[in-house]
Amino acid sequence: MKNNATIIPCYAADTAGVCSALYELGGMTVVHDASGCNSTYATHDEPRWESLQSDIFISALTEIDAIMGNDEKLISDVTAAAADLHPGFITVCGSPMPMMTGVDFDAIASEIERRTGIRTFAMHTNGTRSYLDGASEALLAVTRAFANPAPRDPKGVNILGATPLDLYTNGTAESVRGWMEKQGFSVKCCLAMSDRFEALSHLGEAAVNLVVSACGLPAAEYLREAYGIPYVCGIPVGVRFTVILAEALHKAAASGENAAPCMAHRGEGHIYCIGEPVYAGSLACELGAHLISPVTDDRRFLAPGDSAASSEEEIAEILRNAEHVYADPLYRFILPPEAMLHPLAHFAFSGRCYEHTIPNLICKEISL
Amino acid sequence: MIKLAIYGKGGIGKSTCTANLAAAFATLGKRVIQIGCDPKADSTINLLGGTPVTPVMDYLREHDDEPESIEEISETGFGGILCIETGGPTPGLGCAGRGIITTFSLLEELHLFEKYKPDVVLYDVLGDVVCGGFAAPIREGYASQVLIVTSGEKMALYAANNIHNAVKNFEDRSYARVRGIIMNRRNVEQEEEKVCRFAQTAGLEIAADIPRSDDIIRCEDRGMTVIEGAPDCEAAKRFLALAQKLIDEEKAHE
Repeated sequence: MKNNATIIPCYAADTAGVCSALYELGGMTVVHDASGCNSTYATHDEPRWESLQSDIFISALTEIDAIMGNDEKLISDVTAAAADLHPGFITVCGSPMPMMTGVDFDAIASEIERRTGIRTFAMHTNGTRSYLDGASEALLAVTRAFANPAPRDPKGVNILGATPLDLYTNGTAESVRGWMEKQGFSVKCCLAMSDRFEALSHLGEAAVNLVVSACGLPAAEYLREAYGIPYVCGIPVGVRFTVILAEALHKAAASGENAAPCMAHRGEGHIYCIGEPVYAGSLACELGAHLISPVTDDRRFLAPGDSAASSEEEIAEILRNAEHVYADPLYRFILPPEAMLHPLAHFAFSGRCYEHTIPNLICKEISL
Repeated sequence: MIKLAIYGKGGIGKSTCTANLAAAFATLGKRVIQIGCDPKADSTINLLGGTPVTPVMDYLREHDDEPESIEEISETGFGGILCIETGGPTPGLGCAGRGIITTFSLLEELHLFEKYKPDVVLYDVLGDVVCGGFAAPIREGYASQVLIVTSGEKMALYAANNIHNAVKNFEDRSYARVRGIIMNRRNVEQEEEKVCRFAQTAGLEIAADIPRSDDIIRCEDRGMTVIEGAPDCEAAKRFLALAQKLIDEEKAHE
């Protein structure tokens, strides 16, 4: 029963992470799932659906197709749709039903690519993992495919891991971009909000990458390995942390060394920030708080005293003596009565429930 | 790396052949992993002195979390062979094929091949290629060659033909190819002629001819392969010859 959530909801799943990460890039994303599920991935977990068109499809997998392993239907439907839509690339991703029947998405993607001549990616999603896993896999796949060697711009920077699931559509991503420019940097590519896949060809021009969510880290590591571009993990929330982050970026661009200022400072008190570890970790630095990361247990984001507790029992236990908690409003139901909740709605957690209250904290003073 | 999947009708001697072939490779100095892909989880028992390894599915059933090391779900057997069993769900429940895929994903997460650096990997697969799970061992990145075990019995040959056709269906997918047949003799009438006729029709080579042998039964009673327990017997020599042939082919291919 350890992982059962009876009070708080679970976070968005890996499939939603793929759809969110690829939404604006100009590809065609096909989720192999039953008809009707598109509303989950592309509307409930996607605030841009009303204002921005994206080619996200559901294969309308039927019981008989699943039982019979009728991969050909998926392959021919995608091939036909691609002939009409001419997408920049194609992505096919899994859901719980194909996971159970063991569909080989790598083989299907190869076959679609062979028939269409369009770059096709297989995503190994199954609907049971974190949205960060799906978004990570998607961002890494497009980075590997479309990044090119290019002359280095010493002021060039990429933003990696931007999706509305963590940053929402309240101007946070634009504020990060604006802040970078104020620091004297030139943004080559924002992966993946407001740029199409053609912008990925500029990734190699950057002197440093800013990882604004854990889902940007695999792409950052690839760019480090393939192109020698260092990365810095953090998002410029607050005032004091913003200064720390700016210094880390300039230092990394000059030295070529990676840095994770989002885990550089923690306090001694009973103050907690719960959420995606780069955002919540950056906030924890600003506030002298501790981080609780329910969405990934990747130790590269955890400072001493932080926790990757994911079950509500574990989180409630950690919060037993909490005095201040910065978290999604839905966490109030597992807080001790004396703890003060500072509501910071997280779209990947509470979806539309509090979306209009999500603040843009870039360079804003935050106090207890 | 030599990567072999062994298929064949249930009860035809796949595990016997796989374990003996693994032991033969180890005797020839190779670093070997054998992965049993059968809910019965008895593929490697004769490499382990008759003491079974904890199957991966049993581990997952008993623990809240996945294992953090290969050692928790493997044992080292004869000749240093790393023995792993996928196991399966409670009989009559769940999905055995899915269990194989889950095990493979787990082994990948634990970086089995990078850490262990085997020369040879053998997948011993339950019966036919009945679903996606049982095709997992022949997918890209796993086995690159299939050996089909058959006797001259009609149903064994029927299953062998089904397996051969199933593998052929995946020709466009960079899956494994059928390398040949292991004729595991049951001493049925005109056995050699029947198996040869099938092999010829299917365009396959009989890669090894294993005689019906009481030595195999006696060794298995002691939890051993004939490579370990009766290395001078004819069956052991045939397994060693097959292993050597596959090693030579790999060398020539390199």
